[in-house]
Amino acid sequence: MSRSQPPETGVDADAESIDAGTESFTGTGLPRVEDHRILTGEAEYVHDITPDRCLHMALVRSMHAHADIVSIDTSDAEAHPECELVITADDIEAEYNPMPTGIPKVETDGGDVRRLEEWSLAGETARFVGEPVAAVVATNRYVAEDAADLVDVEYDPKPAVADGLAAREDEVVVHESVGTNVVDGERIAFGDPDAAFEDADHVVTGEYSWGRISGVPLETAGVVASYDEETDSFDIDCNIQLHTLVDDTIYETLGYDADDVRVSVPADVGGSYGTKIAIHRYCCLAAMASKELERPVKFVEDRIENLQGGDVHCSDREYEVRMAVDDDGTMRGLDVWFVDDFGAFPRYPVNQVLKPLSVLTNSYEIDDVVYEYELALTNKTSQTAYRGFGVDPHIYALEMIVDEAAREIGMDPTEFRRRNLIEPEQMPYTLPSKNVYDSGDYPATLDRIEEIIDDERDGGLLDPAVVEAKREQGKYRGVQPSVIIEPGVSGSDWTDRQRSDRDELEDRSRGEVEELPEHLRAELRPDGTVRAFLATDSSGQGHQTLVSQLLADELEILPSDIDVDYLDSVDAPTEYGSAASRMAVMLSGATVGVARRLIDRAEELAAESWECATDDVTYRDGVVERVDTGETRSLAELAELDAGRDERLTSVSYDYDHPATDRAEFDEAFTKKYPVYPTAAFGANAPIVEVDVETGEVEILTFHTVRDCGTMLNPTIVEGQAHGGIAQGIGAALLEEFGYEDDGQPQAITLFDYLLPSIETIPEIEMEHTVTPSPYTETGAKGVGEGGMIDAPASIATSINAALEPLGLDEPADRIPVAPDHLLRQVRDRE
Amino acid sequence: MSTDSTGEYDGPVTEEITVTVNGRAVTATVEPRLKLSDFLRDVCGLHGVRVGCEHGVCGACTVQQDDRTVKSCLSYAVQADGAAIETVEGLDDDGSLHPIQEAFHETHALQCGFCTSGFVMATKELLEENPDPTREEIQTGLAGNICRCTGYQNIYDAVERAGEKLTAETGSEE
Repeated sequence: MSRSQPPETGVDADAESIDAGTESFTGTGLPRVEDHRILTGEAEYVHDITPDRCLHMALVRSMHAHADIVSIDTSDAEAHPECELVITADDIEAEYNPMPTGIPKVETDGGDVRRLEEWSLAGETARFVGEPVAAVVATNRYVAEDAADLVDVEYDPKPAVADGLAAREDEVVVHESVGTNVVDGERIAFGDPDAAFEDADHVVTGEYSWGRISGVPLETAGVVASYDEETDSFDIDCNIQLHTLVDDTIYETLGYDADDVRVSVPADVGGSYGTKIAIHRYCCLAAMASKELERPVKFVEDRIENLQGGDVHCSDREYEVRMAVDDDGTMRGLDVWFVDDFGAFPRYPVNQVLKPLSVLTNSYEIDDVVYEYELALTNKTSQTAYRGFGVDPHIYALEMIVDEAAREIGMDPTEFRRRNLIEPEQMPYTLPSKNVYDSGDYPATLDRIEEIIDDERDGGLLDPAVVEAKREQGKYRGVQPSVIIEPGVSGSDWTDRQRSDRDELEDRSRGEVEELPEHLRAELRPDGTVRAFLATDSSGQGHQTLVSQLLADELEILPSDIDVDYLDSVDAPTEYGSAASRMAVMLSGATVGVARRLIDRAEELAAESWECATDDVTYRDGVVERVDTGETRSLAELAELDAGRDERLTSVSYDYDHPATDRAEFDEAFTKKYPVYPTAAFGANAPIVEVDVETGEVEILTFHTVRDCGTMLNPTIVEGQAHGGIAQGIGAALLEEFGYEDDGQPQAITLFDYLLPSIETIPEIEMEHTVTPSPYTETGAKGVGEGGMIDAPASIATSINAALEPLGLDEPADRIPVAPDHLLRQVRDRE
Repeated sequence: MSTDSTGEYDGPVTEEITVTVNGRAVTATVEPRLKLSDFLRDVCGLHGVRVGCEHGVCGACTVQQDDRTVKSCLSYAVQADGAAIETVEGLDDDGSLHPIQEAFHETHALQCGFCTSGFVMATKELLEENPDPTREEIQTGLAGNICRCTGYQNIYDAVERAGEKLTAETGSEE
């Protein structure tokens, strides 16, 4: 049973004003330790790193979506007096490797296996606008761009394909050697969907589109690579995300061992939202140039490069969805088919097509389901990960078919949803796709959001008189609540499902399953303060604050006595890091573990010094006390004692296991490599929208939301994540899209074309919380990093449909973004 | 690049400028094409000036030039010759936080922080003109700055709190 709890956004909760040992920092809105350096301009992002003798790189990029490269003449560039180096594909193919791709081999219908390679620079063929074909290094970026302009590339343009559905016809093949654009696909049936669709009273179908969007962090990709000839190794500072996991994309490309390529990410990264996991191309090129020149080489992507060809676009899907439903409002079956346009190369985020299995039926109980996808390549920029990792389009398509089905059977869409919600008594609830929802009361959140809307109907934004008056001005107001799930805490075992023999998965044993824990270190310093080391990178989520407040509670000291630093890719074990809302859960679990270990060691040291048993001592408030005499040893004294030992006791590490690791509930999901996400944060949204039928513009008047992420470790950070996620969801729903011309020319290459939400776009977000701790995690926390982005587009779309219902339009929000021209066309076509 | 009468490259055309940056006169020889943002970051070492888009949309590079905010990626260093520039580093020189910075910290109005110095400088101008802005006035004042992390809600709160702090400070001085 969840309990209502107003968030304590106690911004005045000064660390020093809370007495250590008497109050808990965890659960308070402790202000962030990261802020001071950022606010004073002292933070060092990777853009700020420029070592002595550093050179700068610029890239020559293809202006054609698909073209053979006839020749590249670099002589004029090389003749520029300040140009140090020009690299082309010919220079790197002999010495280095192709970049790892998500699908390195494609099996053709005839059974042949064809290799699908991507190199850091295009060789014989360029396959998207913005694909790098040469790298130029010079004394500064201005000159590097001058010299890049002097590289003369002769292209032989070819027909291009820029539409995922059309690409399936293979009239234009992006990789001729592979022979087809459809490089992966799977149809997975759960239960007996054929029977459900045959027996049901109605079968409802819908087609929905999800346009290309991305995180578009304010800070673009950046790298500084330095090669050391003496050790034949590289130091790479960059703002890649998951630097201990995806560093293989760098060292494998360079052909070096992991230990010879030290990847470091600064403490401050200017946003990622998943997208920066795919910036390895830049790291590799800068490293190659650095090795050639034996000087540091820096590359900072500019905004046009970022938007046009930075390898960082996200899901681009066309859906056909069917729902089998009975007259009484029972959802009987679901059939989801989609094609995802991956652009020119399939990257690591191929798993974005599979993650939706973890929330296959959203918050509804539907046993018989088909999930089928095709992964198509086109002449567009490649995809990367983005907040939500492919779940956001799925939830959107699902909520749209739910709306359509409700209207088909003549039932109120809210009542239809309620009848099919998973009940709290069913928790933990196993989905047809075998993932398990840990805890939650979905009907209660729907009830609460309904109460909030009822208040709006009574003299508020939805007062019938106001709604009527607005309608006369051509402005249609409406709302349609939805209940949503945020799957949290990704594991890794399932992520090579595409490369696995699916027949063998049928009887795979649990012993073969390996999950990635999260690693944390802590050490006592001579002055009695504690330093912790994260194995993950951070891009604004407040990991340092989280670890310091939890560690302070566990050790019963002040957060100000704790510093939190970062490990590079060589010092850290290969861990998963910051992805899929892992950090609150994984870092809090790891912090509790590392603190317990440190306390054990402190007691051991103190007992040794007193020559008594460890049972005779106890740790409290930052000191170890000898129970019989009342003597104490402070942390500083213990550090001094430890310094005299051969092997230090007060330097400890701890690996917190992924919460599903030893849980039988997840056996089937694990062995069959279905996505495992053991926490299910949930909530209900009710954005009140107003559609102007004269302009097609949508304004969100207010965004009501009730959310539950289990234990709120820092309510201020929780709310901040939700605000940001919802804002990105609003951008996705209404503004953002990487459009393409039919010939593959990108339409959005500046921030004048790719519209990010500004302070004028985002409405007041009215947020309430409930707290239903996860039974699976150390602290009861569930993930919270992707919420909002996952659910806001679906909720805005259903509200737009509700607002325009009086016009008799057939689900007008059937594409994301719901841009004004799209709505206007439908309003006019109707007339 | 420039060439002499024989067609030989003799390096770029440059110009000597003097800009007062955070109260300190900086004289430098720069190319006319050097952006003010790059001058502040690379010549003056003021990394609080952030470059997010280089075409004037995101506002991360916002600084004050002769007491008015400018997007420093949209002007050239030579245009600032003789001007007084203030960046986020100039708000408080003893390492403590200016009331606007305090307010951003207290209301969690920053996450990744890449846009933050631009927002702080835009807020400074807004509050100098209007110490007690309405939410609508805050919208207008900060419409030229993009934040991708916070969803803006806490930024409204920060501006309001900063206004209160500055008013209280002014009041206590009177």
